[in-house]
Amino acid sequence: MTRHTRILMSCIYWAFALYLLLPLALMMLMGFKDARFIGFPITSWTLDWYIGVFADRQVMFTFGYSTLIAILSTAIALVVGTWIAVTLTGRAFFGRAVILGLTLLPAVIPGVISAIAFRIYARVLGIEPGMWAIIWSHAVHNVPFVVLVVMARLSTLPRSQAEAARDLGADPLVVFFRITMPYLTPAMIGAGVFCMLLSFDDFVRSYFLGGYDPTLPVLIFAKLRSGMSPEVNAISTVVLVLTAVLGIWAERSMRRIKKQANR
Amino acid sequence: MPDLPPQSPADPSGPPTFWGRLTAWSLYRALTGLVFASPRRQFWMLILFPVIWVLVAHLGPILQMMQVSFLSSYPPSAGKEVVLTTANYSRFFGDSIFLVPFWRTMVFSVVLTLTTLVLMYPVAYFLARHVRRDNQLLFLMLLLIPFWVGEIVRIYAVMIILGNNGALNLLLRWLGLIERPIPFMYTNFSLSVGIVYLTALYMLMPLYSALEKIPANYSEAAADLGAGPWTRFFRVTLPLSLEGVGAGCTLVFLIATGMYATPVLLGGPNTTLFSQTIAGFFHVAGDQWPTGAAFSTIMLVTALVVAGAFNRIIALLSGRVAK
Amino acid sequence: MKDLVLNRRRLIASAAAGAGLLASPAYLRRAHAQTGGVLNIWTYNGFVPDDFLRQFQSDTGIRVNIRLVDDQGKQFNLLAAEAPNPTVDILTVAGHRFLQFIDSDLLAPVDTDRLQNWGNINPVFSESDWATIRDNKWGVPILSGAEVLAYNTEFVTPEEAQTWDTLFAEKYSRRNAYILQDMMSVLMLKMGYDGNMIAYQDDEAEAARIVNEVRDFLIAHKPHVRNYYDGAAEIQQMFVNLDVEVAHAWNGPIAGLMNDGFPVAMAIPTEGTYGFVYTLNVANNAPNADNAYLFLDALLSSPEIGAALSRSSGFISTYKDAADHLSDLERQSTSFPEEQLARMQFFRAEANDLKYSLVDPAVEQIKAA
Repeated sequence: MTRHTRILMSCIYWAFALYLLLPLALMMLMGFKDARFIGFPITSWTLDWYIGVFADRQVMFTFGYSTLIAILSTAIALVVGTWIAVTLTGRAFFGRAVILGLTLLPAVIPGVISAIAFRIYARVLGIEPGMWAIIWSHAVHNVPFVVLVVMARLSTLPRSQAEAARDLGADPLVVFFRITMPYLTPAMIGAGVFCMLLSFDDFVRSYFLGGYDPTLPVLIFAKLRSGMSPEVNAISTVVLVLTAVLGIWAERSMRRIKKQANR
Repeated sequence: MPDLPPQSPADPSGPPTFWGRLTAWSLYRALTGLVFASPRRQFWMLILFPVIWVLVAHLGPILQMMQVSFLSSYPPSAGKEVVLTTANYSRFFGDSIFLVPFWRTMVFSVVLTLTTLVLMYPVAYFLARHVRRDNQLLFLMLLLIPFWVGEIVRIYAVMIILGNNGALNLLLRWLGLIERPIPFMYTNFSLSVGIVYLTALYMLMPLYSALEKIPANYSEAAADLGAGPWTRFFRVTLPLSLEGVGAGCTLVFLIATGMYATPVLLGGPNTTLFSQTIAGFFHVAGDQWPTGAAFSTIMLVTALVVAGAFNRIIALLSGRVAK
Repeated sequence: MKDLVLNRRRLIASAAAGAGLLASPAYLRRAHAQTGGVLNIWTYNGFVPDDFLRQFQSDTGIRVNIRLVDDQGKQFNLLAAEAPNPTVDILTVAGHRFLQFIDSDLLAPVDTDRLQNWGNINPVFSESDWATIRDNKWGVPILSGAEVLAYNTEFVTPEEAQTWDTLFAEKYSRRNAYILQDMMSVLMLKMGYDGNMIAYQDDEAEAARIVNEVRDFLIAHKPHVRNYYDGAAEIQQMFVNLDVEVAHAWNGPIAGLMNDGFPVAMAIPTEGTYGFVYTLNVANNAPNADNAYLFLDALLSSPEIGAALSRSSGFISTYKDAADHLSDLERQSTSFPEEQLARMQFFRAEANDLKYSLVDPAVEQIKAA
């Protein structure tokens, strides 16, 4: 492409980034407003809302709780999703389309409906509302995304490698863990980040399946009843910064691992 | 590109690896011998778990919902007899008031999906083709940041930008472009801004991964054969990325049909969507689950049919290109 | 720096350690909260004052788990999904929503003999006609709210706020907002009908005619409305963003704005309005019913607690003499002049089946129009 289109596209990218990030900048700013409601004009400023977030044990506890749920549900979704993707790729068998369709189903069901369906169903299965019920519902909701991403990557796996390994006498399990899985790692990391996002941001399922400990979105929703205050903005900002730090740390470590592997 | 393990599994020369020791372990050999005895058995072992999972965890809740949609009342309450009925479905077809938000949702979702596609394609293209491979993840992460903040908080941030006294109106007034604030909020505009904000990611990811897979030398080869930039794009890049287009559009369309909080907060009197109608049966009234379940089923089926048809077209298109 | 380089094993190990840290017993302990001195409450943010809660827990040794909720319908859904063996002991239902819960066997009657401090409630609320259904009391009234006309004092005069007509006036076209469901009841009252629809229980045709009249009025004014809304935070934000200048609202959220110094005020117009009462209720089959009564009695024990409730929620206290413990601004934002209060009557649930079978579809029709 010509230089002009390249510049144009970079402009579009940055314009889009601005569109995504400007509301966040405002959100952070509003956390410093010395009033009970967010909005313009800001007449006086305060640090109290931010200090309050760290002093509030419930917020910190809830952040940890949401993180734990995100990690565990993502881990389950990755295992199940990869398994299903491996099963469905490169094989033609009776009922494959049906299984694929059913696999993708949870991704397309409106939140409220799936949450209530899960709530009734959990009772039928005898699962108590609480952490594990939330993890279960998040994992189910995330499996389709893992399957989509992993299947896309699997379809580009050169078959010759697996065949060569099999010719050398490796059994399917070893072939999977030593050939297929390393090849899938980037896709699984991408899918994992995505799953964590979805779990972290989920309100309805956590609300209907949760017990007496709220997840972050549930806590924020409850606080909203007495108004969108700078407190909520401060909480969100702190959470954002914490997760960003975690994300950057993970990305850096990945790079180092890659470099080591390449050495 | 593939990260090959440094040693092949049966490498006899190196020190004993974890895998080497594992495969030498007799119990493991006995087990794998049993499980992997024949390709047929291998297949059954592989497929057993997915089938159980999909049936129990994916299909179960939906069947439960469908069952509720055929009941006369749910949750069961004292003194009311529960019978099977199709009244909940006929209610939808019997009254035009439900069809308005229904069609509005479908049309709105299609328009928004296409808008998102047009907006996100250049972004994905830029990321996949013009950013150095090392930096791609970083550029992608930058766009992912907003998604770590809850939907509601983000929507309120959009509200204080678009409000009569919001950042945008203040800016326009300061620039002297307007005298009276423009009412952006509670219109199709504010709703679209909000929904694109929330769905863009679902379009970006599949597009990016499809574009990233296309080898750069295809385009160069076409250029060597004398194809201009637009020809190259429409004859080479676009067809090869159709798979990503299909996946992205399907996701965005289905998510847009099911959005709830965004239309409630950013929409106005003339933008009521079907998900709001459905939620009404569960929330405000609280006692009309069967109707809500029936309407959900109707919406689900319609959305799936639309998405299926769309994917069919994409498949046909890319099939023709492949020939 | 070499030591800082993580290898894959160590990354996984440290991630697992982090997860283990997070999985500390605190989270898991909650799962077994059913044994011993426990009390489970579903309520709104600000409906159980922090100081009171701390005091109660240290006095009795009962551990109170509070689950914050944000909507009546969701509480109903949650409880219905848990019935007949709920995890919850006390929930928070508005008086006029009782019937739906009672009909589904979700509430237990309140045994007022077990509450020594029942007499601390203003009889206007505790002995009111809506409070007694099937010869039983079903809830402990703690806060009261009203459907009010709220207005930005920089644009709207107090005189204009004396009539609901202002909400529909040409002058405020596209600068107004209301909750459709509630507005229909208020409009019925304004047009001279019974907004509770009890008077038309035997005359469905008349009831339908009235609802249609109100519906047509609202459809006719649809081009002039800025927004229909549902949540408290929504209307507050609309006022702050200057998206609306006049609105129908509940008094609680508006009180929040007033207490923050925002130029907003509220009035009960001459045509009258409806009020509602938030009550704490004991769930049917509550696992810790004894603790629930202990809690309710303690909550009612002094007017200071009533004042604290009023302060944190913005609604009117149902306690005798609670107003004595509020500051001037707080009192102003949580009370009305006598002559305005006299225009308020309470929502009643007797004809809800009839009313909502007509109102709910009408609301859908207005939204679809």
